[in-house]
Formats: sequence, C-alpha cells, structure tokens
Amino acid sequence: MSLLLEILSPDFLLRNALYGGLIIGFVAPLVGVYLVGRRMVFLGVALPQVSTAGVAGAFFWHALFHQHEHHEGDFWLALSGSTVFTLAAIVGLAVWESRSRARVEERTGVLYAFAAALSLLLVASDRIAEIGILGLLKGEIIAIPTDELLVLAAGYAVIVAALWFFKKDLLLVSADRDLARSFGKKVLAWDLLLYLIIGTTISLGVLLVGPLVMFGFLIVPPLIAGRLTRGIRHLSLAASLVGGLTAFTGFAVAYRLDWPLGPTDVALACVVLALVVAAQTVVGWFRRAS
Amino acid sequence: MAGALVSFHDVAVGYDGTPVLEGLSLEVHPGDCLALLGPNGCGKSTILKTMAGIVPSLHGTISSTLDGRPVRFGYVPQQETLDLAFPMTAAEVVEMGTCGGLPPGRHVGRVEREGALQCLEQVGAAELHGRLFHALSGGQKQRVLVARALAAEPDLLLLDEPLSGIDAPTSGAILALLGRLNREQSLTIVLVTHHLGGVREVIREAIWVHAGKLLRGPASTMLARHQVITIIEEDFLS
Repeated sequence: MSLLLEILSPDFLLRNALYGGLIIGFVAPLVGVYLVGRRMVFLGVALPQVSTAGVAGAFFWHALFHQHEHHEGDFWLALSGSTVFTLAAIVGLAVWESRSRARVEERTGVLYAFAAALSLLLVASDRIAEIGILGLLKGEIIAIPTDELLVLAAGYAVIVAALWFFKKDLLLVSADRDLARSFGKKVLAWDLLLYLIIGTTISLGVLLVGPLVMFGFLIVPPLIAGRLTRGIRHLSLAASLVGGLTAFTGFAVAYRLDWPLGPTDVALACVVLALVVAAQTVVGWFRRAS
Repeated sequence: MAGALVSFHDVAVGYDGTPVLEGLSLEVHPGDCLALLGPNGCGKSTILKTMAGIVPSLHGTISSTLDGRPVRFGYVPQQETLDLAFPMTAAEVVEMGTCGGLPPGRHVGRVEREGALQCLEQVGAAELHGRLFHALSGGQKQRVLVARALAAEPDLLLLDEPLSGIDAPTSGAILALLGRLNREQSLTIVLVTHHLGGVREVIREAIWVHAGKLLRGPASTMLARHQVITIIEEDFLS
C-alpha cells in the first residue's frame, strides 16, 4: 500500500516515467488491434526496429557532419530520424507489395534483419558512443523530460482521436477489403491512413520505451483482450485497459524489485497471456468433462 | 437498352493488366435472377467482382446507375476466401454491410444494429447473432454473409459460389431464400455457381461463360447445354 501511495504521489521522482509508460500502455494496444487483426504481427516487430535504426541513423548523420556535443535538441533529432525511417519503410513495403510476389512475411523479415543490423552497426560506431544515445536506444524509461512527455501525450491524443473518428472505415478496410471496394471505398487511401497512424505511434513510442517494449505493448494486450472478449466492439477498449494495467503493475514491480522497467512490462504481459490461456484451457476441460 | 442496372460494353476483365475475358457486353435489368455458369477458371468470379467494382476493368465501359445514383451492391464472397482474423460476432459481420451508407466519422449506431438483426432474422439466422463468425459452420457463415449483403440495402445482390461447401438441405434453404427475395421483393440477383440442379428452380436466365464468350438464354436451355458440354468435356475430352 505504501508503495502505491509513493508511486501515485504528485512529487514522485519518477512520475514522468510512470505517465509515459501508462500513455503507451493505454494507446499502443489500440493500434496493435489492427496489426493483429490484419495478420501483420511481425510488422509490429520490424517497424520498432526500423524506428530504432532511424534514431541511430539520425545521430550518426548529425555527428558525422556537425561534430556536436550532447544538447537539448537530441529528442527532436531522434524523433525526426525515427519518423523518417518508419514512414519510409512503410511506403517502401507498400511499393514492394505492389511490385513483388514475395510474401508479406518475407518482406517484413528482410526489413527486420536489415534494420536490426543497421542499428547495431550504427550504435557500435565511435561517434554514436560519444554522444551517448545508447540509453535512448535501449528505451530508458526512467528519465523522461516533461516536454518530451507532453509531445508523446499530444501525439497519442491525436492518434486516439483519429482511431475513434475513422474506426468504422479502418475496421471495414482491414476486415474485408473486397466488401469495402464494393462500397466504393478508397482502400489504398484508408490503408495509408492506418499505416501513418501505426508509423507515428511507433516512432513516438520507441523514443521513450525502445523497440522491445513497443512491440510488447502493440501485440500482447490485443492477444489477451481477444481471449477475454467476444466480438470486436469491446476488443479495443479491453486491449487498452489490459495495456494500461500492465504498464502500471509493471512499473510497481520494477520499482519495488529494482528491475529494468521495459523488460518487466513485457514479461508481465506475457505472464498474463499465459495465465489467461491456461485458465481457459482448464475451464474448457471442465466443461467437456461435465 | 435503357433501364439496365448494370451494363458492360466491350469490357475486358482480368488481373494485373492480364485479361481473363475480353469484348464482354451484357446487361442486368431490375428484377433479373440469373446465374453465371462455366468451367473453373473461365472468369465467372472475375466478371462478378468487376461488376461489383472490386476488380477494375481493363478496357471498355461499365455503367451502373439507378435513378441517377450509383447502384448499391450486396456482395457475398466465397465463404472460404473470407478470412476474418478479427474476433467478430455474426451480428458485427452483418453490421459491416451497413458501413457503405455511412459517411466517414459516422459510427454504426442503434438503427444500423437493429437493421442488421432484422437481416439475420430474414435469413433465418437470428439465433447466431452473438456467436463468433469463425466458429460457425459453412452453412451458417453463408447465411450470415447473405444477411450482410442484405444489410447494404442492395439494388443488386451478387453471390460468388454461394452453395460451395454446404450440405444439400442448407443449399436448398439458401436457394429458397434467394428465390423469395427475387419474387417478393423484386431483388435483382446474379450468382456464380456450379450447383446446376438446385438453381434451376430459382434462376430465370443463365449466362454461360465458354471459350471466352458469354452465351445468354433461358435457364432451362442454358443449364441443359452446360450439363451436356460439361459431360462431354469431363468424360470424353479429358
């Protein structure tokens, strides 16, 4: 109880890390529902990695040409790199899809492998190490400046508003493209809007929590919610609640046990998923037996 | 001819710039109930999808207007091609059919939900409304997909192999439903099928897609010709 009171105190030293984790925990699953529903889960792994490569690339490029020291503009530099790489990857995948017979898993796998290798190469360079962005790439959730938190909150508020406003059309295009076309819907335009939402969510989130946590919050809460709800109407809300509760509980556990926050969040979400699957399996056994 | 819901004039249909059929001309009039027949791969489904606007035509002119507005299509896909990864209930699948008439930003509301339930009742599947679509049998899925097409309040109902993978009693029930919709509500219907025996009771005309041509005629005549040619091709030529 005292732990909860301490964490929830307005003067809590790490409150920005808590708020940042909660924002991502609540919002990322809303986007992840579409990744899971469109069978694009692997894209949820690849794009955060691309975003990470973008952060490393931006710092590498800046260090190469400007020889600068660490300064306050690093966040915007990282955000630019993350956004440019993520959106370029999305457009590249879309073009590749229209001109190639390679399966989506193959394209996404190649993208992931390339992005992961590029990130490691850039991080391994002396210039990146000088600037000291290794913590940023790992997703140091502990120290989040207030202005960066506000950017995240504002960006994610726009994303939630867009998801709510265009929910019907995004779902229609994602669930049955042929039906959407028979209604005269511009499927490509709706796809691009969804990809823009996914890209923005990832490029913003990766800056604060890193690729692993971003992937975890995109994918695991929708999988849990899909097992707990019947129908699409409550799926997004349930996924968001699961993500938010996991983020809060993960923060409390990590703070109490002095564990790294990001991996704690993801591990906790996976444990919850395993418990839900196990419980449903046992209930199924009892139902069949009775 | 004036008054056609859909008319093709010198149309080429196909995928990725490669035509499957060329020089097609046909008209579908209000109240028609016709079947597209032909061997596998002859382009029946492609014609249907082009009619619905799902696949763009490669050449020619397609017009589909009714009283100065675009024709509303109710499209029923081949059920095995519809892979819904979203955990949608039958009612939610039917509600998708109402989305065509709603502008961006307008959500499916109470009116649309009630309309979807009425469509489920119309196809005799009201009891399925709360069940997950992917857990339904083939026949149940087909009823739900017909209900979804009806929820679009269509001028023209397009069905792609509506009887494939379904047992005989369910096929009979679906055909009876289609016949009723055509007779009692004057709903125009175009369907692609291989089930010749069953559709004989329902359809009035058939279009036989053979050797790149469309041959149209009364249902009984075309079905008989189709059966004879199929027997010759399957038993002798192959």
